[in-house]
Amino acid sequence: MRSPISQLLRPVRGSLILAAVFQTLAAIAGLVPFVAVAEIAAELLDGGAVDRDRVWNITWVAAGALAVRFALMFAAGGITHFADNNFQLHVRRRLVDRLSRVPLGWFTDKTGGHVKKAVADDVVAMHHLVGHALNDLVGAIVTPLAALGYMLWVDWRFTLVVLIPVIVGFILYSRLMSGYGEKMEAYNAALAQVNTGSVEFVQGIAVVKTFGQAGRAHARFIDSANRFVDYFWAWAKGLLRVAAASDVALAPLTGLLVVSAAGTLFVARDWIDAVDLVPFFLVGLAIAAPVLTLGHAVSEMQVSSQAAARVAVLLESPILPLPQQPRLPDGQRVEYQGVSFSYDGVHEALSEVDLALEPGTVTALVGPSGSGKSTIAKLLCRLWDPTGGSVTLGGVDLRDIDPQELYRHVGFVFQDVQLLGMSVRENIRLGRPDATDAEVQAVAEAAQIHHRITELPDGYDSVIGITALLSGGEAQRVSIARALLADTPIVVLDEATAFADPESEAAIQDALSSLVAGRTLLVVAHRLWTVVGADQIAVIDRGRVVELGRHTGLLAEGGLYRRLWDAQEWRTRAGGGENGEFVLGPERGQVSK
Amino acid sequence: MIRRMFRVLKEDAGLLRAQLLGIVVGAVLQGAGFALLVPILKALFNGDTGRAWVWTVGLVAVVVVYGAVQFMSQLAGYRAAVGLSRGLFARLGDHIATLPLGWFSGDQVGYVGQLTSKGVIDVMGVPAHLLRPLMTAVITPSTVVALMFIFDWRLALVAVAAMPVMALIYRWAAGLVQAAEERTSRAGAVAASKVVEFSQSQAVLRAFGRHVEGHQSLDDALVEQRNAGRALLVRAVPGLISFALAVQLTFTLLIVVGVNRTLDGNLAAPELIALLVLAVRFVEPLALAADLGGAVKIARNSLHRMDELLATSPLPEGGQVAPAVGDIGRVELDEVVFGYGEGHDAPVLNDVSITVPPRSMIALVGESGSGKTTITRLIARFWDVDAGAVRVSGVDVRDFTAEALMTQLAMVFQDTYLFGGSIADNLRLARPDATDSDLARAAELARLDEVIERLPGGWETDVGEGGFSLSGGERQRVAIARALLKPAPIVLLDEATAALDPENEAAVQNAIDSLRQDRTVIVIAHRLSTVATADQIVVLANGGVAEVGSHQELLALGGRYASFWHETSRAAGWRLAPQD
Repeated sequence: MRSPISQLLRPVRGSLILAAVFQTLAAIAGLVPFVAVAEIAAELLDGGAVDRDRVWNITWVAAGALAVRFALMFAAGGITHFADNNFQLHVRRRLVDRLSRVPLGWFTDKTGGHVKKAVADDVVAMHHLVGHALNDLVGAIVTPLAALGYMLWVDWRFTLVVLIPVIVGFILYSRLMSGYGEKMEAYNAALAQVNTGSVEFVQGIAVVKTFGQAGRAHARFIDSANRFVDYFWAWAKGLLRVAAASDVALAPLTGLLVVSAAGTLFVARDWIDAVDLVPFFLVGLAIAAPVLTLGHAVSEMQVSSQAAARVAVLLESPILPLPQQPRLPDGQRVEYQGVSFSYDGVHEALSEVDLALEPGTVTALVGPSGSGKSTIAKLLCRLWDPTGGSVTLGGVDLRDIDPQELYRHVGFVFQDVQLLGMSVRENIRLGRPDATDAEVQAVAEAAQIHHRITELPDGYDSVIGITALLSGGEAQRVSIARALLADTPIVVLDEATAFADPESEAAIQDALSSLVAGRTLLVVAHRLWTVVGADQIAVIDRGRVVELGRHTGLLAEGGLYRRLWDAQEWRTRAGGGENGEFVLGPERGQVSK
Repeated sequence: MIRRMFRVLKEDAGLLRAQLLGIVVGAVLQGAGFALLVPILKALFNGDTGRAWVWTVGLVAVVVVYGAVQFMSQLAGYRAAVGLSRGLFARLGDHIATLPLGWFSGDQVGYVGQLTSKGVIDVMGVPAHLLRPLMTAVITPSTVVALMFIFDWRLALVAVAAMPVMALIYRWAAGLVQAAEERTSRAGAVAASKVVEFSQSQAVLRAFGRHVEGHQSLDDALVEQRNAGRALLVRAVPGLISFALAVQLTFTLLIVVGVNRTLDGNLAAPELIALLVLAVRFVEPLALAADLGGAVKIARNSLHRMDELLATSPLPEGGQVAPAVGDIGRVELDEVVFGYGEGHDAPVLNDVSITVPPRSMIALVGESGSGKTTITRLIARFWDVDAGAVRVSGVDVRDFTAEALMTQLAMVFQDTYLFGGSIADNLRLARPDATDSDLARAAELARLDEVIERLPGGWETDVGEGGFSLSGGERQRVAIARALLKPAPIVLLDEATAALDPENEAAVQNAIDSLRQDRTVIVIAHRLSTVATADQIVVLANGGVAEVGSHQELLALGGRYASFWHETSRAAGWRLAPQD
């Protein structure tokens, strides 16, 4: 875990080191006023005549040292914070760049949340790591070390005496921390239970209430909360005595007692000059304090490192390889040759799929849910690369075609509509940036959305999500208009798109019909009757093409296709049974080819 | 903040009081102990070790008492923390359970989840870890200053004068940060949403050849976020270090003033040195306190939000437990007016009256936003109407006890939530005494049987937290089976997403066929088969009921429904690839 983080931090390494040097100097400068007070004491208590100038000089040195220390701390903090500020931009840019190069299939429902968390929350959480961690650490180590060095220089024997409570305190403290890791893990596990309990409680409340069992989820939540509190209490109770003892041993008051008692003894025995005790009273009482404050920052440090680790993982996501020497496809024929694919490397989603799409024909993929028909379609859009075999376009493996070239040939319309937060016009024009306004309007008309766009406050210049608040079906038609403008010879389509929005099914369907006309079409079909006229129907089951043919032939075969068709028969019955005018006839002739 | 904690603690309030007392005593003792170093040092400088011994013995006594008090107050503090968290968990839990269903909209869920877990921990940390260092940071220096007056009032005055100045600076700095933070959080939100859009639109962006370079607005947003952060630094950093500066200036000032007085012969040298040593003890705790500010702010915010949550009032409940037998299954909306309140101008429903006789089926039809979902939610009393009344089984929903109302209703809405546990457990939620064959029958009607067959663990498969190891369609089928199983006379059903998948359509169809035999069914309908066979069709438009009647009646009317019907039946006959 360490090394990816330090790799990630490389761009700010120089700044961090510079800041640490400043911080070290600041810690040392912080000692100067104490030394000054001790020197003033020596001068004043010497017994001889007081050299006023010398006392004032020392005083000004002390004041100057405080100013220098302040300036150094300011610089150290400033350097790391501004470095962090730029570093955040750098990391976000790197993340975004990575996102534009991972396979499209990497983006699932869940990744949206992950990406947002990484780019927004995790990068911010790393602030402690860059902005504070090293400075805090340096301060916490150099300050007591400098103080210790000073004391040893003044009187090493007395220093050893002063260190006694510190050593006792740290022994107790380490007992406190023994097994801390496992305890903390158990603590976090108990806390996670509370989290789960509370999320379940709140999310499921509608369900439990409707079933009259509000007490149930409530009880689970309270249970997990109580378990957590019990754990916390047992842990805290067990450590309380040791913790208190360690606290007292390291308390400045105890330090004061030891210095006073030992000092009195040393002075009484003439082992030390009373004036030489001053440094010990000044810096020897709370020598461990900075180290202990560091303890408070441990959890912050953990959160920060975990965030950095997550960012590092995201930055290492495998990217979709681009061809070294791109080739141009020769023609529009698509062929799947012995294609196998696995999402997880264990289970095969597709095995040995052979399929050819002749230019200008309609191929329908049908099969039970989970059979792999969507996967076949996605491979043609290169959301993923096959794990075995190849998909070719115009005789060239998709992996050897420049992605931009590929998408000049293959367009797709899926259920999840992707409109960007810019004007409707620009959204459509994504399909072909040099299209004229007239062309944009023409495809909008063909996609049955022109009329709706003109009703928007700013017409084609209305911005998606701001002045253009579109329903699901309307957004879908905008995306179809875009695909029309792109005018790719091959279109991959999820048939469910046609039924995605019950309020405007007919309009979407009209739009789709104009899109697919005259193109090579690969359609993932759920409702078999929408594709009865396809040139070929591939029946997919458990990742294999089990039947291939046309509607009538497949029906006659009496295989899986027949069973699927029969299973959907009820719809015709239910829909058309009670009235004469609901006909599933082919007379709606505004359709493809 | 402390007062709020006392309110939550109730019977454990004594613990917090004991802790506070312990902290005060401990901090004062500490200050007094520090002050003892002045006589000790003076005695040593004067070579009077005998006197130094006497004071040192006094110091021993202070340390012993201090240690004991420390231990007791820490013990009380942990116990108060435990009591506090138990109290908060229980009060939040109890209160949340009474809130109206309509309150639990999208954002609230995550917010409340945070508050009831991390929020409670934050608050718990106050007595456990924060209170002592924070109070000590104020009380010990104050004690030290007070005792300084005994030795030299002018030096003490310098220290006293510094305290309010530091407090003011601290406040001023916090204010600076807050103002600048607003810009950063706004810029952060914009950038985050741009990034999400960028990642969600990857397919489109790549298909149309737009890479990072091509998506300028994203990079602009990232740069603006950086600039906002930089502005925050420029504004806030001087504030943050000015506190440290004030602390250091105070110490410098004490040295200068003290040296000046000694050189002028107004203050004995041993006294000066002793007081300067004491001044270190005055400054140190103040510097530590500044580091705790953030944690206190977090805890205070959590406590504040909990107060807000606890102040949200539940819907008042009536006392009616059972409806009259003859009315069971009847649903009436009587001149209902309802709007979602601030920010939404026009009411969603304006003077809507609908009567659904027992054991009949009505279909609600209309464009999205026409109020179909709102009607079903008002029946389930997610909210109360603004005017008019909703009656379920003859009783105004406001007169029912919450539990009694729920015994009348079964619901299948979108986004079904399942509990971690087996499928069988989730179904039995609807009827705890259901037999295995009851379960099997409901599963069959809801087409859940094929899901169960496919799952490795069958009926005992753990659906995972929230049911998320199942697909959306599968979850909905569990919800349908649950509604079939629950012996409620009225069923509310939203078939919207069901339209996506033929298998789900079949499940909905079977469920409706079975349910309408002996129950009242109110369905938000999209499919022709559902709509056409309903006893009554209610067409909603512009916040009101546009048309009501049977399929034939409405077709004959030739209005909205008729055109909807023609559109939709055209859609149902649509083919991508027609048969030749």
